Amino acid sequence: MRHARIARWLGALLLSLPLAWCANRTQAATPAGAPAGAAAAAASAPAADTTPVQPESAVSGTGQRIYERSRNRLLQVRTLLQTQDSQSSVGSGFLVDDSGLLVTNYHVISQYALQPGRYRLVYVTVDGQEGALQLLAFDVVHDLALLRPVKPEGLQGRGAIALRPQAEALPRGARIFALGNPLDVGFAVAEGSYNGLVERSFLQTLFFGGSLSAGMSGGPAVDDQGRLIGVNVATRRDGEQVSFLVPADAVRELIQRGRSAAPITTAAWPELTRQLLAHDVALTERFAALPWRGAGNARYAIPVPQEAFMRCWGSGSPQAARGLQFERSDCTMDSRLFISGSLMTGFLTVRHEAYEGSKLGTLRFGNRYSSSFGNEAMGVDDRHRTAPKCLERTLDRAGLPLRAVVCMRGYKKMDGLHDLHVLVATLDGAQAGVQGRFDAFGVSLASAQRLTAHYVDGFAWTAPKTVSP
Amino acid sequence: MDRPEDRLALIDTFERDGRASRVLDVHAWPLLLGRGLCNHVVLDDPFVAERHARIGLAEDGALLLTVLDTVNGVQLNGRHLAAGASVRLPAGGAALQLGQTRLRLRLAGAPVPAEQPLPRAKRSPLWLAVPLYALTLAEVAIGLDPGADTSAWLAGVLGLPGMLAAWCALWALMSKLFQHRFDFMGHLRIALPWALALQLLDILLPQLGASLGWPWLWQLAAPLKLLVGAVWLYAHLAHVLPQYRRAVRAGMLAMTLVGSGITLNTTWRTHDDLVATPYMSTLPLPALRFGGTVAPAALVDAMATLGPPLAQRAKKARVDERDNGAADPGDGDDN
Repeated sequence: MRHARIARWLGALLLSLPLAWCANRTQAATPAGAPAGAAAAAASAPAADTTPVQPESAVSGTGQRIYERSRNRLLQVRTLLQTQDSQSSVGSGFLVDDSGLLVTNYHVISQYALQPGRYRLVYVTVDGQEGALQLLAFDVVHDLALLRPVKPEGLQGRGAIALRPQAEALPRGARIFALGNPLDVGFAVAEGSYNGLVERSFLQTLFFGGSLSAGMSGGPAVDDQGRLIGVNVATRRDGEQVSFLVPADAVRELIQRGRSAAPITTAAWPELTRQLLAHDVALTERFAALPWRGAGNARYAIPVPQEAFMRCWGSGSPQAARGLQFERSDCTMDSRLFISGSLMTGFLTVRHEAYEGSKLGTLRFGNRYSSSFGNEAMGVDDRHRTAPKCLERTLDRAGLPLRAVVCMRGYKKMDGLHDLHVLVATLDGAQAGVQGRFDAFGVSLASAQRLTAHYVDGFAWTAPKTVSP
Repeated sequence: MDRPEDRLALIDTFERDGRASRVLDVHAWPLLLGRGLCNHVVLDDPFVAERHARIGLAEDGALLLTVLDTVNGVQLNGRHLAAGASVRLPAGGAALQLGQTRLRLRLAGAPVPAEQPLPRAKRSPLWLAVPLYALTLAEVAIGLDPGADTSAWLAGVLGLPGMLAAWCALWALMSKLFQHRFDFMGHLRIALPWALALQLLDILLPQLGASLGWPWLWQLAAPLKLLVGAVWLYAHLAHVLPQYRRAVRAGMLAMTLVGSGITLNTTWRTHDDLVATPYMSTLPLPALRFGGTVAPAALVDAMATLGPPLAQRAKKARVDERDNGAADPGDGDDN
């Protein structure tokens, strides 16, 4: 159907923002043999734009000092296949205490965390020393991991990157330095600015106005005194110098929690499940507490979320179109949790389409409206999730008849976690209607029920109606 | 056909498509069959010997088939006889094959099987084309926005007659192949009611399911359409091959069963369900909505029933994976 095709096309276009984010998060750990062209481009660009603006000594001098001070504490973290020496992915890391404890991103070591029998972890220092690593703890929500060398003497006494005290706030625009090994080319310092917290993000994430490349994931971003501000985690491909850091507070908590933990030697699915369920509770709690803000529709109240931690994009059919008129909104969370290269979860999306068909007449409108309800995918059995199980009912929402479909899929390796898909269509209008879709990824059954109730509650007539026109 | 009272037997020679092409009266025994001109029955077949077989009277008066000097022998009622064999023929007659030529020997006095009733062709009226065309045009009209181009209408207006004509012509060609007649109208009369049934099913059943709020009725539409399609196909085939009705019926039944089996199996594997469509995706017109409603809380409460089967599926997947050996291949290879 024509309008549906337009709607879908728009959806794909808007989705490209979050998708770019996903792509970067997944690629932040560089596969071996990254394209040389990309590396060359990354290397040449900063040289061209920094030289004419700043006098050499002021900025580069600090960078030099930072690098000299940090180089001993900077590491590359490699994931290798258990049976051979070729690297499966690489990222960066840094020492956080004198005993050799180090921090990197969870996504850098996710292959090992999920299949410890198949992979092994190795560090490489700036001066080329190598050694095996063991995983102590991880924080999948903040994308952090805590590791320790198997032989502590290898990294002992090299000092540590101190965490900048919480009390000392950094002014927006302050110069900070991201360290790491971009694209496995060599250790590097990338200068950029501190821009505070990312807005409308569920998880606290720092906005770093500088370039991060794949391979720098897990490296430290430090202030001009070499103290940790955050951990390099992701970048946006659709912008310039829009990158993200995990705040140092999350690092502090992980070190406290995992410092004396026993190494993880079996697949980490149970711990992942525990952390995702905790995240689900927090997310559901906050989301369900927010009232819906409505879509300005004359006839219906429509559940469109507050943009506290979601971002909505709206679109509509051209006014002159002689067919079905519609308005839609697509709201999604930027904060998504990386589990593995093929699984992102822990987020919500809300979408609606409001249709108006007075130019079409009842039969034609009914045909288009019904078709639009039909082209919704609920997923099939795949590597991570089961096939969906669905319920469908006609609801009476304070007099407003709604057709509602609820489908859930179970996570195969994370018991108790589900994906929820809710589809709702108003049934009262002969030439007008609203269809909405709500998706929650990685939620418990109880949360799914609560979110569904909350979502259906968002539908109503704007004013009570006695007779449906 | 002259002197029927003197006729001892009759020999039919069949063409390859099973129709008798030559009928020979037999007035005296013995009868010689072969390619040579000296025979009573001359068979123009390169796989037949000059003097191939002889049918004569035995001493006790019974008919005796003797296979003469031939490489290929004779098939008698499906049984192979080599050169030199001599066999008594059954009193009711026999089916013979010499080389590639099939013959039937009918004997005077043998009982004639009862007359078979002609399969009564149900001739459906041609006016069925009117509602069929009207429904199709209505569907086209609803599918197009008001004020659509004439060219947009064209495909819909010409589509059905064109397709129907092509369909019937194709079947008529099949009739020509097997029955030597281009029976276009016969196939049109078959196609009309089934096309109409399919069209009605397609329009009414989903809307009815939606109106009543019965997803099972809606889900029934797809298999029902498949079944109607199979019966429709059978009707054409039976018309083309009336003498093999039973075989065609068995074949279609087997095909339908095997086809549905394979489809169900594939659907079961990818969807863990017998239907690929997870929900009823037709919405009722407000004026035609007859089903009841429930409170939103009832739906939310019912969600609790989804938990156990999903947990069961997840558990089964874990067991399957363990049974298949290694942990899932390359988790994160695309990292």
